[in-house]
Amino acid sequence: MTALLEVKDLSRSFDGLKAVSGLNFTVSSGDIFGIIGPNGAGKTTAVNLVSGVIKPTSGAVQFDGKDVTAKSPHELAAIGLARTFQATTVFGTRTVAENCRRGGYLTRYPGFLSAFFGVGRTVAMASDSEKRIGEVLDWLDLSRVRDTVAGDLPYGAQKTLGMAISLMTAPKLLMLDEPVAGLSAAEADNVRDTIKKVRDRGISVVVIDHNMRFMAGLCDRILVMHHGQELAHGAPEDVLRDPKVIEAYLGRNYAKA
Amino acid sequence: MASIASTDVASASETAPVTGSDRMSRTTIVMLAVVAMVLAIVPYAINERFGYHIAIIVCFAAIGACSLHLIIRTGHVSLCHSAFVGVGAYVSAYVAVTLGFPFLGGLVAGTLASALLALLIGPIILRLTGKYFVLITFLLGEILRMVFMDWQSVTGGANGFNDIPAPAPVFANPKWFYLLALGAAAFCIAVCGRILSSEIGRFVNAIRESETLAECVGVPVIRTKILIFVIACAFAGFAGSLMAHYARYISPPNFGPIESLNLVIMNVIGGMNTLIGPLIGAFFLVLVPELLRDYVQLQHVIFGIVLIVVMAFMPGGMASLKDVYALMTRRSGRKS
Repeated sequence: MTALLEVKDLSRSFDGLKAVSGLNFTVSSGDIFGIIGPNGAGKTTAVNLVSGVIKPTSGAVQFDGKDVTAKSPHELAAIGLARTFQATTVFGTRTVAENCRRGGYLTRYPGFLSAFFGVGRTVAMASDSEKRIGEVLDWLDLSRVRDTVAGDLPYGAQKTLGMAISLMTAPKLLMLDEPVAGLSAAEADNVRDTIKKVRDRGISVVVIDHNMRFMAGLCDRILVMHHGQELAHGAPEDVLRDPKVIEAYLGRNYAKA
Repeated sequence: MASIASTDVASASETAPVTGSDRMSRTTIVMLAVVAMVLAIVPYAINERFGYHIAIIVCFAAIGACSLHLIIRTGHVSLCHSAFVGVGAYVSAYVAVTLGFPFLGGLVAGTLASALLALLIGPIILRLTGKYFVLITFLLGEILRMVFMDWQSVTGGANGFNDIPAPAPVFANPKWFYLLALGAAAFCIAVCGRILSSEIGRFVNAIRESETLAECVGVPVIRTKILIFVIACAFAGFAGSLMAHYARYISPPNFGPIESLNLVIMNVIGGMNTLIGPLIGAFFLVLVPELLRDYVQLQHVIFGIVLIVVMAFMPGGMASLKDVYALMTRRSGRKS
């Protein structure tokens, strides 16, 4: 197992508030890596820092052996680092298939002149991309709603579509920001199975959530964050028994008990 | 992704590429071709100097509005588009008159100058969004207008730039110039239409609808916006050059904020979701004032009413009349 993603001493402050400070973790390829923590612990900030949506104050991010600190999201997507968003982020007025086409920019867009004149690899790339859309939709169980407008889908399906859009970028690492927030227990189980399927196809996954039960059954390793810092780090069963973690989640009394 | 591609290909391989919602339908293209043919004939039916003049102005407005439409499709409403028309006009006039190059040299120089300015300014202003972009482009337009006004040695200042030659002696006849302008407009509309209906248009729409999501799937958002902005401004400069060599005289008010605003209104009235929109808008904003020429005081009132009605009942502009009609007939059908 080689390190796919290495985060070293990553920090970000907003006007003196340290949202993330001194964060270190490594994701090996083939891992499902979880980041949990109470609300406001800095989980989403951590993902935003790694995926380039915001720039770190200090620290470094290495992906696939390259230093990618402070690169733009589109540059990271191009080398295989994709992400989803906490709020459902889909193109709401477009069909599911069209959403996936847009997600396929990296493998579908042949360059301005080729696209303009419809020459070169334009047609081949588009038809490859359509095949991949069929596969990704089958795989995430969205084929039935292929021609449904994304905004008309139920909330859970929109979240899955968000994952489908990210998978269209052909990532090596997929980062999921709260994939089960707002979903029922049954839907959450489906999402867990889907994430495992993603990993089984050779894509490493970083999952953020604060639902312990969901994460314990999913992740190979877990990082617990509290107040922007690492509280615990390791295998799920060890981490979730750690008194510090229980205290952060449930309060001091439970930690003693 | 290779691992995905290798499995389960057969099940999806029959799925032919489905045309996206952004594609131009065949009927649209046929309609456009018919319109172009009618346009080529109409002035001959009128056969009146004034008729040609109006038709030529419509062509210029169409180029301006359609190229602005490209920028609007990336999610930015530019209030300085006619200033870029002015850059093309002045540079073209300067190259042709002061430097003594032939018309074609002026046309190329005017187009390139406008594109170059867009390339310099675009990377800075296209990072702004919404109202900030509108404000900054408004100011930029004013700055350019002041340059036209105050750089007297080059532009002639408030007196304007005089004695600009026709592209060729034969084009001094508006009948022939009209064909030139129509050809130029058709070329511009075709290029804009192709951009929007190709894969480029798909990702331009993606940028407008969700910039963050587009960026995160790998679309180089800023670079794409700059490219579209430069192309649109190149067309603005191109139109400006033609205008200069048609009117033979240009002055700063021709390229002021009112003109820029008119180009925006053409898009709003006609519809901002489709390229047909700015075309309808260009016709409307040029022809209606001419039809109301005898009722000058009423012009603005009628315009105001039309604008309000369109914005209140047709958020998609006049281009969405078809949908409104469909909705109304469906309703009345249910009643009966």
